[in-house]
Amino acid sequence: MTQYIKKATAAEIINHWLLAGSFFLLAITGFGFLFKLEWMASIFGSFHSMRTIHNWSGVVFIIALLGTVFHYLPVALSWSKDDIEWFKKAGGYLSKGVKVPPQDIINAGQKLFYLFLLISGIVIAASGFVIWLMAGVREWVLISHLLHNIAFDLLVIAIPLHIYLGTLANPGTFRIMVYGTVPVEWARKRHGKWVQRLGY
Amino acid sequence: MARKALLISPELCIGCRGCQTACKAWNQLPATKTVNKGTFENPPDLTPNLYNRIRYVEVPSETNMVRWLFVSQRCMHCDDAGCIRICPAPGALFKTKEGAVAFDKNKCIGCKLCVAGCPFNVPRYDEKDKISKCHLCSDRIAEGLSPACAKTCPTGAIAYGDRDELIAKAQKAGYQKLYGEADLGGLGVLYAFKDAPKLYGMIEKPEIPETVLFWHKVLKPLSYIGLAGAVAAAALHYIAIGPKRDEGGE
Repeated sequence: MTQYIKKATAAEIINHWLLAGSFFLLAITGFGFLFKLEWMASIFGSFHSMRTIHNWSGVVFIIALLGTVFHYLPVALSWSKDDIEWFKKAGGYLSKGVKVPPQDIINAGQKLFYLFLLISGIVIAASGFVIWLMAGVREWVLISHLLHNIAFDLLVIAIPLHIYLGTLANPGTFRIMVYGTVPVEWARKRHGKWVQRLGY
Repeated sequence: MARKALLISPELCIGCRGCQTACKAWNQLPATKTVNKGTFENPPDLTPNLYNRIRYVEVPSETNMVRWLFVSQRCMHCDDAGCIRICPAPGALFKTKEGAVAFDKNKCIGCKLCVAGCPFNVPRYDEKDKISKCHLCSDRIAEGLSPACAKTCPTGAIAYGDRDELIAKAQKAGYQKLYGEADLGGLGVLYAFKDAPKLYGMIEKPEIPETVLFWHKVLKPLSYIGLAGAVAAAALHYIAIGPKRDEGGE
């Protein structure tokens, strides 16, 4: 029988779903506003209600994003030689049979992605709140509008790759978002350091 | 249809403010209580209930101690309008076939981005957080009438007509270059200034904010190109290299 170990707590899973759900709503309504998509506004009722949904999804997004700080920030800030090596080998993603150094509970790529997400997420949320709550204050709104759109462009590139790497590219990963557990053998290959620390 | 415009000639203006009153009458805008600040200029700025106003500029000099300039101020009805570019709600701000920048309060979502996009600080918001500004009496001009301000102006300081004809007329009268002739694709409100525009309280070179242009030209297309690129890269990786499977061992 396959032996499983717990990789994510219930709180972590729920928080990640809130983050993902709010991001999805924000991104599609964002595209709706960016290109004035009437059909998108029809799905949400109108441009008025789409604005309300966009703004309040932003509130959910920033709360969930700050929640991730407790889950991932400490490990994302701990870098070692193995992380550098991991990047030198592109995480083993560019060819078959490449052996990457043992990784912690999240690998070097995930650490970098997390730091990127945290920064761009804070930028897009903070600038969004300025556009929302300081409406009409010209200089503040102009710089926030710029930052909001730069962060948006970066996120709509990064998040699809994150989803790909967490599903199709690594079979068996998505179950972490559902059950929070992974097979020990699966974890040994991807998160050797962490598994060793747990004593398996 | 020929683009319509207003030609403002401050030298002809007597500062009677009939235009302000006519505008309020036609657009059914209530009066606002203000305080006397020792100047005829009143109210001191455009408001949601004041689409146009006369700016009184005192320019005393040694040769002319009492030089007093009267400048009609309102939405400039830009050809390339920053407010329309930045507005996220289709139809809230729009161009009429005469070239006026008009608005539809029902479609306005109250985000106030147009305030940031306007080079002239024109858009105002009413108590329901809806856009409120001069629309060149788009309801009147659609019927072939002139805007209320131009209609009522007793001296011809505010002239309404085909934009090209107004420019030709002003050139004949000796104005080589009108303010707004070429700015922002050509403004819908032209000024026949005898002196530097700055003297009349105008921006020397009006422009849509750089950040808005950069957003429009680069960031907007990059959003869907980036998204499509990321999805394509993932698909290509899946086909060309494939997922990390567990079978087989190291």
